[in-house]
Amino acid sequence: MYQLKICHLYPDLLNTYGDMGNILALKRRAQWRNIDVTVTNVTIGDSFDSEEYDIIFLGGGQDYEQEIIQNDVLLQKGAEIKNAVEGSKVFLCICGGYQLMGKYYKTWDGKELEYLGALDLWTIGGKERMIGNIVFESGLISDNGSPLKIVGFENHSGRTYLGDNVRPLGKVLSGNGNNGTDGFEGAVYKNVYCSYSHGSLLPKNPHLADHLISMALKQRYNEFEGLTLLEDEFENAARITMLQRLLK
Amino acid sequence: MNLRKVLTIIISKLTIRILRLLKKGGTTLPGKVAFKLYPDILKSIAKDFEIIMVTGTNGKTTTSRIIEEILKNNNVDYITNKSGANLLSGITTTFIQAVSPLGKPKHKTALIESDEAAFNQVTKHLQPKSVVVTNFFRDQLDRYGELYSTLNAVKSGLDRLDEKTTLILNADDSMCASLGHKTEKLVFYYGFGEAASQQSSENINTDAMFCIFCKGKYQYKSHVYGHLGGFYCPECGYSRPVADLECIGIEEAGSNHTTIRWKCSKALDTDESEYTTQINLPGLYNVYNAMAAATCGLSLAYSHETVQKAVESFECGFGRMETINVGNKSIKLILVKNPTGFNQVLNFLTLDKQPLNIAFLINDKLADGTDISWLWDVDFEHLNTAGDRIVNLITSGIRGEDMAVRLKYSGLDTKKIRIIKDYHRVIDEGLKAVADGGCFYILPTYTAMLDIRGILKKKFNLKEFWK
Repeated sequence: MYQLKICHLYPDLLNTYGDMGNILALKRRAQWRNIDVTVTNVTIGDSFDSEEYDIIFLGGGQDYEQEIIQNDVLLQKGAEIKNAVEGSKVFLCICGGYQLMGKYYKTWDGKELEYLGALDLWTIGGKERMIGNIVFESGLISDNGSPLKIVGFENHSGRTYLGDNVRPLGKVLSGNGNNGTDGFEGAVYKNVYCSYSHGSLLPKNPHLADHLISMALKQRYNEFEGLTLLEDEFENAARITMLQRLLK
Repeated sequence: MNLRKVLTIIISKLTIRILRLLKKGGTTLPGKVAFKLYPDILKSIAKDFEIIMVTGTNGKTTTSRIIEEILKNNNVDYITNKSGANLLSGITTTFIQAVSPLGKPKHKTALIESDEAAFNQVTKHLQPKSVVVTNFFRDQLDRYGELYSTLNAVKSGLDRLDEKTTLILNADDSMCASLGHKTEKLVFYYGFGEAASQQSSENINTDAMFCIFCKGKYQYKSHVYGHLGGFYCPECGYSRPVADLECIGIEEAGSNHTTIRWKCSKALDTDESEYTTQINLPGLYNVYNAMAAATCGLSLAYSHETVQKAVESFECGFGRMETINVGNKSIKLILVKNPTGFNQVLNFLTLDKQPLNIAFLINDKLADGTDISWLWDVDFEHLNTAGDRIVNLITSGIRGEDMAVRLKYSGLDTKKIRIIKDYHRVIDEGLKAVADGGCFYILPTYTAMLDIRGILKKKFNLKEFWK
């Protein structure tokens, strides 16, 4: 029996927009394949050793909560997070968690907050929030050979820009994405996946969930040969309904 | 005589008439028209009313309806805004209906429910005598941005009001109670005493974990649900205020009613006796609504008897646990709009020992919140405790497919989950699955409720909601 160990970083603080849905999708999809899953919550003051986990999840938070974790994430856990990223550990980072992995966040009135710098990207605050449904085409995962379209919901005022060392997660077909101007959404660096699409990203996009699980199991088990297929009737119905509505 | 004002009132009244004749609700547009014609209209016609306002995230309508019962029991001549017309335009329409063409009030008292995000706007025009704030939970963040901005907006709205305003606040909600901190206004608090709460337990998905004043982590002596309970901040000492009206024990928590014991402080009621009251709605959230209304009633010096009678006799508001009898079966409509409210409804459903047939109607229009990610913050896993009593789960509405995904991931048996998009079929198939004497629960978001209610109205002859 395979084992999958998931770490939920700051679940009590970075969980504004249904982030539990992503953890639940990873957990259930592993369980339905008889993979033994554990989810460990790690928050302020807790010790963090990335070696103990296969997938590390960082969710989104409101400004108030992001301020609270600032010191802990930079001074206590920062070095370990960066090591894990370079060591090709699988990460999923959403919204606030995505921004936090970058180099800095500059507020619209010029104040600069230093962030982790684990990824070559940065965020500039904007006055207007970019809120609404989003569809983007991912070059990473293909479903029957064609590029997979991912659906979600974005709600952010920060505009994120990618440096040379990271690739976007996808190309925006409807919505704003990273900054509303360059047409890209999210970021990928090694095995780190970042997106502004919050809440129900993984449950409704099961291919992406399975991709993360596969990558994690491949790292732990040399003999891993891939995941068995699941019945995804509801998941596909939910995604296709939104694709039809947004890509008219 | 102000001719512009008179004309504005007359035109708005005509607009209301026409919209009603056309069978449109006519609760919003007339107010909008009035503001265009005369921006000071609301301030000018509302100033002669004695105003009670109710705001907060959850429980505004039910709390307002109980206060309405208190007013009725005291023969008070009042107006009120029903049917969720709780934004500035809807509130304006309500007042325009209640004055003569010259702007003279036909009634003395106004009981006004205000959307929490509109409150700051509304208090630019109204000067209420009492303001009841129910609670703050995350709700429609796509519309309001962040929870703390909603709290701050309500705070600015309150700061604008003069010192004669009385505040009625939830003692157990650290955010709501903070509105009474260092204010010159008279404040009354309501809440659950330690004996009526649970032992404190850590809940990971909570809205307010850190002190509003110093960002220290709250500790809890007791816990009710969500972030409500006996909170205190070990760093700066901010803690749950002493409640003037306190639930000191729950004697019975049934699926249709809750019997509580409560008592009042001397400041609120000269008689400090304890009372037993039966609230004709289930769920702890309705105990809060009843306590908020009772505290408001007592603070306005209405007698204990009339307040108690109101709490024990009120009927529920529009779409909030409305019951429709269909032969020997029934349909219960329960509005759902945010995680905490939804959790309370699920809690109530699993308390029921009957077989469960539930339809979830999830829309993502503006009034519902365009983001449905909040469904992942609802504890649907709790439905598993009902086990085999779950017969049939229907998901519907614009986002019915997403709802089906959510139920699937909560671990429920997918063979019991069906996506049915047509509302007529939802009603027929839902009722069909219910045994004689049983109940079919329909849990819609706001606009889904308007739609399904429209169909139920035609099918089973319900009252128009603005009456």
